Amino acid sequence: MDRSCHLSLIIDLSPSQWHLSAQPTNPHPLSFQTFLSLVLTFLNSHIAAKHENTLAVFGALPGKSTMLYSSLDADSSNTNDPPADANSYRPFKFVNTIVTKNIQKELDLLEGLTEEPPVTLVGALTMALCYINRLAHPPPGSVATETTTEADARILILSVSPDLSASYIPVMNSIFSAQKLRVTIDVCKVYGEETVFLQQAAHLTGGSYIYLERRDAFLQYLTMSFLPPPSIRHMMAVPRQDKVDFRAACFCHKNIVDIGFVCSVCLSIFCSPVPVCSTCRTKFPMKTLQRLNASRPSIPPANGVSNGSPRPPSARPSQGMSASLR
Amino acid sequence: MNSGSDSDSFDEGDLTARGRKAKGKSGSRANEKGKQKAKDQGYAWEATYTRSWDTVQEDEAGSLTGAVAELLARGRRRRLLAPAAAIRRTIIRHLVLLLDLSAAMSDRDMRPTRFDLSLEYAREFITEWFDQNPLGQIGIVGMRGGIGERVCEMSGNPQDVLKAISERHKLEPIGEPSLQNAIEMARSSMSHLPTHSSREMLVIFGSLTTVDPGNIYETLSSCVKDRIRISLVALAAETKICRELCDKTGGTFGVAMNEGHFKDLLFELIPPPAQQHTGAGAGGKMSADLMMMGFPQRLPDTAPAALCVCHAQMRAAGFLCPRCGARLCDAPTDCDVCGLMIVSSPHLARSYHHLFPVKPYSVVTTLDGVTSTTCHACARPLEDTPSANVSEGVSPFDRYRCQDCKSDFCTECDVFVHDVLHCCPGCET
Repeated sequence: MDRSCHLSLIIDLSPSQWHLSAQPTNPHPLSFQTFLSLVLTFLNSHIAAKHENTLAVFGALPGKSTMLYSSLDADSSNTNDPPADANSYRPFKFVNTIVTKNIQKELDLLEGLTEEPPVTLVGALTMALCYINRLAHPPPGSVATETTTEADARILILSVSPDLSASYIPVMNSIFSAQKLRVTIDVCKVYGEETVFLQQAAHLTGGSYIYLERRDAFLQYLTMSFLPPPSIRHMMAVPRQDKVDFRAACFCHKNIVDIGFVCSVCLSIFCSPVPVCSTCRTKFPMKTLQRLNASRPSIPPANGVSNGSPRPPSARPSQGMSASLR
Repeated sequence: MNSGSDSDSFDEGDLTARGRKAKGKSGSRANEKGKQKAKDQGYAWEATYTRSWDTVQEDEAGSLTGAVAELLARGRRRRLLAPAAAIRRTIIRHLVLLLDLSAAMSDRDMRPTRFDLSLEYAREFITEWFDQNPLGQIGIVGMRGGIGERVCEMSGNPQDVLKAISERHKLEPIGEPSLQNAIEMARSSMSHLPTHSSREMLVIFGSLTTVDPGNIYETLSSCVKDRIRISLVALAAETKICRELCDKTGGTFGVAMNEGHFKDLLFELIPPPAQQHTGAGAGGKMSADLMMMGFPQRLPDTAPAALCVCHAQMRAAGFLCPRCGARLCDAPTDCDVCGLMIVSSPHLARSYHHLFPVKPYSVVTTLDGVTSTTCHACARPLEDTPSANVSEGVSPFDRYRCQDCKSDFCTECDVFVHDVLHCCPGCET
């Protein structure tokens, strides 16, 4: 229980989404400046919670992911030390300066872009997982400290961008690797619509997904829900998402299906029996089609419309998948 | 443990007493002597036997780093050797695990006994197998007293399968095994399966003999006809019929040399195999089919409790079969009422990495034109001085490059990306 823990924070740095979030027409406008200062406070409290706690910060930028801070590499690079300040605790100052400076640097690099490519959180997520894997396997030369090998690690994603349907497979792969590494993925949706992928990520790894309703209380959400490590979460009633939609959408019409027809070769899902798989071009035998058509439930399939559930954004890749198969 | 005491048997209490005694005697020299003696006066058949601890060599400094690197390199080379051409894998698998429960399994040449070790590894195997093949099904048949015994029906639920072999006293090894009876029993349980799914048998065989009621070669040829793939892990030694069963049906055969090797042999069979051609009759075409599957609604923990159809217990959480509305405890499974295959979308997604694997990274042998100083994924600083005497297929700079995104990765991340993550961190951004 009293073990140190590692936190990998992933910040979604999409300029356009942050611009929208800061609009005064929103019920609770949150600008990036305010957001950053609150996040830095949260990071400081994580470091303060236990001396051995480690920290890594990743940024998901349009078309790029980068590491903004890592407590493992920061100690060695003493060259860019922040100026001494009598009024601040040195480790806090250190984290704050490096994170702010790196974000500034990355955002400056974006100046020249005319069009903003979508933010891919997956890149940052895979980097965070590789980093945690690195912590779990210290190089043989160095002295393996117990704190790094035994720490329970978690990932916190602060997301503002919508789901990217092309990244469905990598997201799912990352979720399964997180399960293998016993890493909890927490998600805080700061702005924008709910993302199904991240809901699934939090649910499958035992983390919590929180949609920020009162964005003026962001810091309170952070400290109350995401600061305690997963090992003591069961003693605190951390809000979790109980209802996660695991139903699949068919590849042909993007309908949510209850009963689907699945290609045995590439596992594409169709809402009605088809003679040829549209993804891998496999032809199915006539006999199965007849049998399946005969055994279909006589009631019209309730394609998620009749039971009134809203259609989530396409939870399945169709383009990315067919492209990679060709 | 010194090698002299390996051959005799004793119970647990004796073991600890002996261990303490040996330690008390400051027996490092005595140990050394004993080992030397055992090496010199080993049995003739032990001469060709490579001990795992002999193949690992320390370098001059007494460190094992070189040996570990060599092991890693071997894994890399194996991955590079894998066929680059697209192969169609069977995602829907059916496997019958044939466990030898004969008296030969109570031998203690593997600690604690062959039987206990097999059970333990079988459990790990089943867990891992279902993890990688969520749409597959496993059945278990035991071989003892000259007959085949159905231990567990074909099931897609890991809990059911694990429960069947959880009670050790029900599987106590006794009598002679019968390969033919067990294979026939397993074969009959797979006869109804559709052609697009694989039919596989995995035999864990500790005995050197088999008592068969008829000609086992007839069983073999009917297995070939039914396109059943038989893989066998022998715990004792290679026998002709075992080797032939595997070779003729396209399976793999291995003799476990020690506990670790036994586990390796088993776990090699976990990734889905390439689909076999369905023979000349079907014109060499691979079979594919459309399957009907139900995607269930998940009930939240706060749902009113009701009886489930699988265990008849009151439960709040669970899944609802979309066709008949039956309440099920777990997915994936087959609905107990209407027989519909119940999966949820993450189960399908779990199989995607077999379909879209990450391309192997190339080895960086020169630092010309390299700009990055750290690993792209984990930000580990990379070496810029080549390390001496590296084996083939290993980068002297510890650098491996993705051909698509041209990012460099360290050894650790190379292994992690290909074995666990299954997506390249560079290509996703």
